[in-house]
Amino acid sequence: MSGLLTLLIFLLLGSLLQTLLHLPVPASIVGMLLLLLALILRGKTPDNLQRITQTLSPLLPLFLIPVSVGIITQKQLLAEHGPALLVILALSLIPGALVSALIMRKGGKSGS
Amino acid sequence: MTHLFSLPLFWAALTIASFLAGQQLYRRLGNNAFIPPILTGVVLVVTCLELSGVSYQTYMRGGDYLNQMLGPVVVMLAVPLYQFIHTMRKQWLRIVLAVTLGSGTTVACAVLLAHFWIGDDAITRTIYTKSITTPVALAISEQVGGINALASAFVIITGILGALMIPSLLKLLRMDDPQAVGLTLGICAHAIGTSRALELGPQQSAYAAMAMTLTATLHALVLPWIV
Repeated sequence: MSGLLTLLIFLLLGSLLQTLLHLPVPASIVGMLLLLLALILRGKTPDNLQRITQTLSPLLPLFLIPVSVGIITQKQLLAEHGPALLVILALSLIPGALVSALIMRKGGKSGS
Repeated sequence: MTHLFSLPLFWAALTIASFLAGQQLYRRLGNNAFIPPILTGVVLVVTCLELSGVSYQTYMRGGDYLNQMLGPVVVMLAVPLYQFIHTMRKQWLRIVLAVTLGSGTTVACAVLLAHFWIGDDAITRTIYTKSITTPVALAISEQVGGINALASAFVIITGILGALMIPSLLKLLRMDDPQAVGLTLGICAHAIGTSRALELGPQQSAYAAMAMTLTATLHALVLPWIV
């Protein structure tokens, strides 16, 4: 539980900082960067954070279901643009995949 | 029955049950990346709502119990990110370049296509977030004025398409060394691509997880300023 408390405290800190500095970045991301900074300064991941990560990670898709179900409020939009959107999402993957695969290949296999 | 349907707790319980059913199906089919538990879960909940005639607003009073966990989960991403920073030090420049340019290219293509083909401002704003893992995509979509429900659908569909297309595409072009495949899956197909990478091998899966987290962080920092 102390791991969860840490996450909540960093989320609150992120929210506070976002409001104070009028950042356009989401509060949870600000909190994540603060926690990353704290981990870098500390030099290792504390056990309680390690444990909460192992507990929460497999549950991530569960937390995403409620928003995803909201798709039922967008029926009209999907009926109108659904096929076009599907084509756009499929086509746009190809150039992106080629660019990142090319960059990873260029410069040899030093890391492998 | 009507009374039961009006209870928030009923819908929270139903969501958990649907997720568990999705997980079971996923395992039964040998961890097939094309049927992620979230997809089955969403389909089951949507079916129940359609059959019972309950509105999304009513459902969400229960769904929100689970939804509230997204904030801490995004903060939690700092833990794997920190571990990647440690292990991938030697290749960081190439990895950062691949993540920045690769994810930038796929998002730019999608945004341009959506802008000129569909021309709906809210859709264009939403499609910016298509290659980021869902919890982060939702946080950003809210920030830039996109449609949250749609953002989630774009991300899931992109993930399934990417998991389907990327390994075969790279193999066809003979660019399928493990690191390139893993990184590309993580950049373009986030969590679903990462679970596909897990089937391909340990190196692919480590690179995919890293690429997914880096892409999400990068986009979270950049998109709110440019959209």
